[in-house]
Amino acid sequence: MKNKKGLLLLLGVVLYSTQICASSNVSLLDGYEVSVEQDNLKKGATIYYNLCRLCHSLKYIKYQHLLDIGFSESEVNTLRQGKLMNKAIVSTSTPENAMKMFGMVPPDLSIMAKARKQGPEYIYSLMLSYVENSEGVYENQIFNGIKMPDVFSYSIAQGEQEKQAIQKDVADVASFLTWASDPHATERKSMGLGVIAYLVVLSGLMYLVMRRVWRRLE
Amino acid sequence: MTDDNKSLEEPLVDDPERRDFLNTVTGVVAGAGVVAASWPFISSMNPSSDVLSKATTEASLTGINPGESKTVEWQGKPVFILRRTDDQIKNMTASQGGKDPEADSDRIQKPDWLIVVGLCTHLGCVPSRSSDGWFCPCHGSKYDNSGRVLHGPAPSNLKLPPYKFVSEDKIVIG
Amino acid sequence: MKNIISWIDRRFPLTSFVKKELTEYPTPRNLSFWWNFGSLAGVVLVIQIITGVFLAMHYKADAALAFDSVEHIMRDVNYGWLIRYMHSTGATAFFAVIFLHMARTLYYGSYRSPRELMWWTGQILLLLMMATAFMGYLLPWGQMSYWGAQVITSLFGAVPFLGDELIIWLRGDFTVGDATLTRFFALHYLVPFIIMAVIMVHLVALHSVKSSNPSGINLADKDNIPFHPYFTTKDLFGLCIFLVIYSYFVFYQPNMFIEAENYIPADPLQTPVHIVPEWYFLPFYAILRSIPDLLGGVIAMTISVLIFAFMPFLDRSKIPGGAVYRPFYRALFYVFVIDVLVLGYVGAKPPEGYLVFIGYFATALYFGVFAILPFLAKKEELWLRKKGLPPELEALIQSEEKQKAERMVARRKAKRARK
Repeated sequence: MKNKKGLLLLLGVVLYSTQICASSNVSLLDGYEVSVEQDNLKKGATIYYNLCRLCHSLKYIKYQHLLDIGFSESEVNTLRQGKLMNKAIVSTSTPENAMKMFGMVPPDLSIMAKARKQGPEYIYSLMLSYVENSEGVYENQIFNGIKMPDVFSYSIAQGEQEKQAIQKDVADVASFLTWASDPHATERKSMGLGVIAYLVVLSGLMYLVMRRVWRRLE
Repeated sequence: MTDDNKSLEEPLVDDPERRDFLNTVTGVVAGAGVVAASWPFISSMNPSSDVLSKATTEASLTGINPGESKTVEWQGKPVFILRRTDDQIKNMTASQGGKDPEADSDRIQKPDWLIVVGLCTHLGCVPSRSSDGWFCPCHGSKYDNSGRVLHGPAPSNLKLPPYKFVSEDKIVIG
Repeated sequence: MKNIISWIDRRFPLTSFVKKELTEYPTPRNLSFWWNFGSLAGVVLVIQIITGVFLAMHYKADAALAFDSVEHIMRDVNYGWLIRYMHSTGATAFFAVIFLHMARTLYYGSYRSPRELMWWTGQILLLLMMATAFMGYLLPWGQMSYWGAQVITSLFGAVPFLGDELIIWLRGDFTVGDATLTRFFALHYLVPFIIMAVIMVHLVALHSVKSSNPSGINLADKDNIPFHPYFTTKDLFGLCIFLVIYSYFVFYQPNMFIEAENYIPADPLQTPVHIVPEWYFLPFYAILRSIPDLLGGVIAMTISVLIFAFMPFLDRSKIPGGAVYRPFYRALFYVFVIDVLVLGYVGAKPPEGYLVFIGYFATALYFGVFAILPFLAKKEELWLRKKGLPPELEALIQSEEKQKAERMVARRKAKRARK
């Protein structure tokens, strides 16, 4: 009786853990998902570099880290423009300039995807929540009074095709920032699968040992 | 202990051989797990990736006039970059150094540029620049303009870091 | 090998100690898996200490560097992310295990005579653990770390006369600052070793009175079995199952128990919109908030934690075995568990609307359960005995009553003799 319970418990845990490990993708809106594919990360990084970097820094991401998401050494050399490999990727504008323009220093984006609830989704939807109001001024429906302009021009996008292209770009940026906030996530998940598989096997063995020991009492 | 003893001790066990096998397998699997689990902790004490990224240093050679030297940091150690004058080159090529004889040509890539690790091979002090080489303030070892020890307690010449010229006026050390 | 052991044995009771306290240590054979959580808590403490020591090798307890050093651990240190997530998830696991351990003690009445000292040392351990967790939570120096510490240290302002001085003394600064961080780090490192010492006391008490068991009746010698190999294998199996669940959270949901807000560096000039403590403090936090007066709230919260220590006095029923034979006690137990869960929910949400009233009600119920327990226990005992208990229980109760009477007589006699 007691043993049966233990076995059922074990089985339940195994099923539960495998099921959960299998589905670990974070979904964004509009059918997009946070991608860990190098193509998307690279695209997102490029957009960050050309657009977001005008104001936002990534103080925990160094140029050499770009090699981890599929940039070649020569591509990184082009991007870093003589800066050292082990230097952080920082904004092109100075904090003083930003203060002058926005009255604040735009936040660092290194861990933004973790610093908001449902961070990746938050980043994605924030970028696409700009609307033009009746006076022709842009507004953000999620972040009232945001200082950041509609850099992806979603509010004035014409037609479905253009909108979808922007959505895809923003999804890539969200994926890149998710990677930047937790660069070891992929390694972590694959290691976790191995660790859990090992522990399930060990639990099974330990269960057999225990059952045999306890059978002496019957 | 023999198997006989064991089965005498534990008469209730259904099949001692199978049990031994199971125990051994479980023990080995658990032991392997403990060993594997200790690896991340051991590894965490090794240099972290940001320390390793300092393993290479870029150094610019612009602005160093003949006869002048510059010190850059590589892996936390000073590296002397000396731009040698024609006189110095001539003298060094002619000499074999002191107690650790070595040809000057084996210690350089370009005759103008001497690049050596600036730690005295005796006990690791940083030698200071003198007119005809370096002089270690700790115990008086003297090095020439090829970084070769001339006299003093130092057993060998100043070490050469791995480096390469990426352009005319830029080197990467490490 | 044999020679070495006999050499030691002549100087130190190694073999006899291991035999008496581990391999042959008599343990009730009917212990269920609910008795696994004690040893499990010990393992979790060891995990916390090991991961903590390795984190301390890279962490910098300096307000200007702390946040960056945690990110350094998460990004640059080899397997730093693993060690850090093991530690943060370990804190959650520790409280989960301890709460289950306490729930078992309450359900089966294991706090009752002769195990009061085990229960009280356990209470001390809980308090030390809470202090350690609270101080550890400041170390990442995120927004929630900072404001959590700010709010909780402010509670000491409720102390009459000394309040303001006490807050400043605790912080070493006028607000939570660098001095606070450094001392919290020092104490966060120290207290776990004090916990270990108290665990020794807890274990000495255990090995003196032996484990309670689901029947609530001390078993005859023949029903005790040696700890090894029965409970070593059972504890190890339980540990494996625990590690599977723990690993799932470490590797797949490591941020579930870390507030997003805590990935924003501490900013003394901007309070997060909604401050929540870690989940294990939520029920107590809800009680604090439910009392409209600061001093009253602090007192209520303190009592809500300390009140468990009074259980041996509040529950004076002679019926053994906690909830097993006692339907009213059992019902009260479940009411209490549900009430704690409700309080936890209330504590996690902003105090708005109907939740405020649920908070009042759940707080009243929390203390009400303890208040009603003495009367309920007596009424239940009378009712059960009138209804007729199983003969062995009745016999046990009567023999205990007899023993007690004999002790009284002996004491009176001794007193008279002294006169």
